[in-house]
Amino acid sequence: MNFLSLVNIEFKKIRRSKILFILAVSTIILWLPSLINADLNFGMQAEGISPENNFLIQGFMGMAWFMFPASMVVSTVLLNMTERSNKGILKMLSLPINTVKLCLAKFIVLLTLSAFQILMTIGMYFISAGIASQTQNYNFILKPLFVFNKAGLIFAAGIPMLAFFWLLSVCIQTPIISIAIGLASIVPSVLMINTKIWFVYPMSYPFFVITAEYGKLASNLTTAQVELIPFLPVAIGITIACLFISCLCFGQAERR
Amino acid sequence: MSFGLECKKVKRTGFNPTFLCGGFIAAIVPILNMAVRSENYLGLDASPVQILMNANWQMMSLLNILVVVAGACLMYHIEYTDNALQRMCTLPIGESRLFFGKAALLAVMSVVLLLIEAAGIAFCLYHWFELSLDVWPELMKNFGYALLLIFPAATGSLMIASACKNMWVSLGIGVICVFAATMMPTKNFALSLFPFALPFQMFAGATENTVRNYIVAAVIEILIIGFAEVLLLKVRRAFE
Repeated sequence: MNFLSLVNIEFKKIRRSKILFILAVSTIILWLPSLINADLNFGMQAEGISPENNFLIQGFMGMAWFMFPASMVVSTVLLNMTERSNKGILKMLSLPINTVKLCLAKFIVLLTLSAFQILMTIGMYFISAGIASQTQNYNFILKPLFVFNKAGLIFAAGIPMLAFFWLLSVCIQTPIISIAIGLASIVPSVLMINTKIWFVYPMSYPFFVITAEYGKLASNLTTAQVELIPFLPVAIGITIACLFISCLCFGQAERR
Repeated sequence: MSFGLECKKVKRTGFNPTFLCGGFIAAIVPILNMAVRSENYLGLDASPVQILMNANWQMMSLLNILVVVAGACLMYHIEYTDNALQRMCTLPIGESRLFFGKAALLAVMSVVLLLIEAAGIAFCLYHWFELSLDVWPELMKNFGYALLLIFPAATGSLMIASACKNMWVSLGIGVICVFAATMMPTKNFALSLFPFALPFQMFAGATENTVRNYIVAAVIEILIIGFAEVLLLKVRRAFE
């Protein structure tokens, strides 16, 4: 069975899972406060950031800090539970399929879900920016290319984090422990982005990247910038190591 | 009987270790904070408990509420897998007894969680501030208040978990509620009455009037959630 059809089957499994609904609701809740407090964007002279940029960056910071990692933890739970409930994983393991491929196919689904969520966030951004432009008589809508660029940065920075969450959910059999570690690991990322060793902590990548962008857009504010040399090798290393270990562990508990 | 049964059910699910570890991680937050930048806090002109709570409570309460939400989801997840809940429904006890047994267990574990955190704060007081005897009642009041305010979130997430068959749906809704709570301004009284936003409130620094308002609000919310859960179970039973 080739890889594409495996991915296709994984999508079929989660078709009726309501996960897209959950992701959509979270994006709506993300933009509601910015929409209500749209007038606050005009009081950012101290930071030296234009209102429309501030509107975008504040929303994206809210997403990168908590909502994006937390909903990805929920997605890993979904991918795992659909297999483990009713012993679906046993049936999958009895088929002549490479387990490494199966594991990677599920990871691709996770990546796609995160991409979906980011796309929905962008969609909601344009809707709420349109409404805010109407209520405040000021054009909040930025160029689509600019918005996609920032969102793409969050997505790319989130990949090592997703690999780590995937490792947690594959290797830890008791669901509550993997969920609790995943959710609890999000909280210290606020502290980690202020330290020099932020690049060893994958959960802080999306937030760090978007904070760096905030520093670039705000002329009176200097935030730490991404230095590619320690960051990129470490991030790629973490991703590969997490995926490698999770591929080794996948289905191991059931095969005993 | 129900409470003892619930304790047995969660025995091998990692429920208790999660609460203990969550408590220890949250207790380490103020200790680390003081160890790294104690000079920022020692000179402040406020009571030591208030300084520590102001500096760390946001993060500690976020950890608390996430652990509680995950715990509540797990408690109903073990009922829904392998249709254990249907067996429970055939027993000659009301389905709401199950809910209140779980709520009691969650409350006990929240006490454990907050006790560990109180110990962490007490360690900071002992190590960095000169600890005097009159600080103990203040500490107890703070954490008693925190305990009462976490109950609405605990029962609320338990109610969500009981309503949804799949764990990711209940966990997803819980996470969305926590996220919404973090986006809300804590100063706005009406918005902070949202059950998931209540645990972020602090006793230290609040006036007597607001404290009383929040206590009354929390008790009312617990009663409403308990009542709504009984109603939900009755309605669901009627349509099954």
